[in-house]
Amino acid sequence: MLKKTISIIGSGPSGFYTAYRLLKKSPIPIHIKLWEKLPVPFGLSRYGVAPDHPEVKNCEETFKLCFKEHFNDYDYNNCTSSQDQQQQQQNSIEFIGGVTVGGSHIKLKQIIDNQDIVIFSYGCQSDRRLNIPGEQTTKGVFTSREFVNWYNGHFDYSLSEKFNNFPWSKVKNIGIIGNGNVALDLTRILISNQIDEIWNNTDISKIALKNLQNCNIKNIELIARRDFLNSKFTNKELRELWELEKYGIKGTINKEFFNKNQFDIKNMDRTLKRRVEMCDEYMKPFNERTKKNYKKFKPLDIVTKTWELDYLKTPLRINKDSNGYIKSLTLCHNIITPENRVVPQLNEKITYNIDLLITSLGYKGVPLPEFKSLDIGFQKDHISNVKGHVLSSSGNIIPGLYASGWIRRGSQGVIASTMQDSFEVADTVIKDLATNLNGQTNYPKKLNVESIPHITWSQWESLDKEEHRRGQLSSKPREKFLSIKDVQDHLSSL
Amino acid sequence: MFKLQWNPNLKKNIISLAKNNQTRFLNKRQYSIHHPRINSICLTRSLPLDTTSITNTTVTTATTNSTSFKREFSNFTKLQHGHLTKPKPGEELKITFVLKDGEQRTYEVAEGDTLLDIAQGHNLDMEGACGGSCACSTCHVIVDPEYYDALPEATDEEDDMLDLAYGLTETSRLGCQIKMSKDIDGIRVALPQMTRNVSNNDFNK
Ligand SMILES: Cc1cc2nc3c(=O)[nH]c(=O)nc-3n(C[C@H](O)[C@H](O)[C@H](O)COP(=O)(O)OP(=O)(O)OC[C@H]3O[C@@H](n4cnc5c(N)ncnc54)[C@H](O)[C@@H]3O)c2cc1C
Ligand SMILES: NC(=O)c1ccc[n+]([C@@H]2O[C@H](COP(=O)([O-])OP(=O)(O)OC[C@H]3O[C@@H](n4cnc5c(N)ncnc54)[C@H](OP(=O)(O)O)[C@@H]3O)[C@@H](O)[C@H]2O)c1
Ligand code: FES
Repeated sequence: MLKKTISIIGSGPSGFYTAYRLLKKSPIPIHIKLWEKLPVPFGLSRYGVAPDHPEVKNCEETFKLCFKEHFNDYDYNNCTSSQDQQQQQQNSIEFIGGVTVGGSHIKLKQIIDNQDIVIFSYGCQSDRRLNIPGEQTTKGVFTSREFVNWYNGHFDYSLSEKFNNFPWSKVKNIGIIGNGNVALDLTRILISNQIDEIWNNTDISKIALKNLQNCNIKNIELIARRDFLNSKFTNKELRELWELEKYGIKGTINKEFFNKNQFDIKNMDRTLKRRVEMCDEYMKPFNERTKKNYKKFKPLDIVTKTWELDYLKTPLRINKDSNGYIKSLTLCHNIITPENRVVPQLNEKITYNIDLLITSLGYKGVPLPEFKSLDIGFQKDHISNVKGHVLSSSGNIIPGLYASGWIRRGSQGVIASTMQDSFEVADTVIKDLATNLNGQTNYPKKLNVESIPHITWSQWESLDKEEHRRGQLSSKPREKFLSIKDVQDHLSSL
Repeated sequence: MFKLQWNPNLKKNIISLAKNNQTRFLNKRQYSIHHPRINSICLTRSLPLDTTSITNTTVTTATTNSTSFKREFSNFTKLQHGHLTKPKPGEELKITFVLKDGEQRTYEVAEGDTLLDIAQGHNLDMEGACGGSCACSTCHVIVDPEYYDALPEATDEEDDMLDLAYGLTETSRLGCQIKMSKDIDGIRVALPQMTRNVSNNDFNK
């Protein structure tokens, strides 16, 4: 029997978990081609997850298993010897790194035409925007995706002048729009980067850390459009911020937005109940706290930096100084309707003086260039799909095409939910393979990648090893390659 | 192999785990959860420990010769490899897993193993994406209410992760945070379903 050929586009958690499940469960032998535009795998596990949360990246160990157990760099459908034919019955996977699908080396159409199944797992590659004056023309305004990529050493940003030439030492007051977990990551990194015991042993980009440590941060304002109860962060991330009090970093929420007595605590779910209790306790003076959980570490008496959760505001305009740097942000108050709609009160304007603004509104999914010509449907920020089956622009299932992860549902969900999602899609693929619902043909589908310059899994392993080696010199888990040139130089030195 | 290294910047010893020529550093939360003793012995010491190499299960340090220290390390090795500790004869503890399709499996296990170790050691469908570091909630289990109160209370960190667990119930816990002990001998736990929430009925079979 010929192996079924599957191409997965994107090697982040969704691409890897889809592959992992397929390799583990498919009763029909498969060969997976895992395409990745960067020379390195793991997507946002490597370039999103905060450097001080290395335990979250342990999922990469599972991803490596795919290659340990099923790896070969070779497409056995093209072989004839008997040993190779034996290999033909075993599931296999191959990494094609440094190749952008839809870019100059390979078109999406070529892949679709030459594979039994194609799964889109390429995540969200752009930014949501406020669309207000000054947003894209003012110096010192960054999107969360740019900022996170910069400190995580992403090739496109780590050496960017926009960041590295910015006058960080002038930064005192910061505004962050949005209060999802990414906004909290950003707050923690900005406000605590001078504390060596948190940052010294992480794989944060050296260049970014050095720049950030020049800031003299006084306050970070996390500005949300809705109210406290609609906050997007999770309790774990918020607790981490409160716990910084032991370093003299203190959080607050104005009484206007947080008043325990005004909440209907009885009818709250457990997550909200715990959130209200946490904020209430941490805002009490240490001696007045009732539960021992909140008395683990005594806060420093001297408060050096503050962060504040701010609510019910809409940003209207970014104001710059004569050199084009951000000076302030004009906002207005909001009310929210019982249906949770935001209504800006344009006559109630206020101004915050800030030196840096990060818009943390979520990453935005964008279509691949050929989606129009191939009639692949796209809605707002994700691929049109039902249960992972990709739909055409008119809403019909396109046989053999699937989507998983962030590009399937938009930029929401932690790695655990991305995993769940990917498993469901993989299970659907397996079911369809078994019942031959993918519109597959019976002739072997071949796609030869030898002529496409790419990074193989073994090459990535040597990059990985080198990053570890460089990291060890300064007691870090790794020191990432910061430029494609550095990667190429290393590979050609082998 | 584990390596204990004195870090002059941090003025503390740090532990790393080397596997296949690669080193993985363990963050504080990670070992403090599983290895409270390692944490207190090595990490909060503000003096360098003399010898720095720990191979597999043996710890050789001039300043530490405690057996408990050795045990914590051996536990750790096992955790990383998904191996189970063999229970001593006469000291076996029992645990029953209710699988997603309702099937029940009972195992004899050793004190100190976590539910994640046990499930992975027997190839049950429990992912443990973060490797047991209380950072992913994919090891979510639903504890038979009869045993729930016998468990040590969940920490804030565990409760925070449980917030994100799929199909959360009143008796949900994280498998990587529960260690087998005599108090919970005979415990029954269900693996949550992907598509529907588990109810107490699952225990009434
Ligand atoms: C800043 C940040 C921090 C986070 N922290 C946590 C956390 O602490 N814990 C947690 O559980 N979750 C966290 N998450 C969420 C988690 O990262 C996501 O759930 C998960 O990464 C989504 O996976 P994905 O594979 O769908 O997308 P991605 O991880 O984005 O993977 C997509 C991959 O596709 C590649 N790609 C894109 N276009 C192409 C193309 N044309 N051709 C080939 N390859 C392409 C990309 O380079 C990338 O490698 C965080 C997210 C962000 C943004
Ligand atoms: N440690 C972790 O577990 C971790 C860390 C990072 C990320 N993640 C996960 O990754 C996912 C993405 O996180 P995220 O923070 O990027 O996204 P998010 O959780 O969706 O948060 C986006 C924020 O931006 C606001 N927003 C969006 N558009 C806006 C607009 N036009 N004007 C004003 N505000 C606007 C949203 O407000 P509204 O709520 O009003 O829409 C929300 O507060 C989440 O599921 C998150 O949990 C997890
Ligand atoms: S294995 Fe990740 S939380 Fe238990």
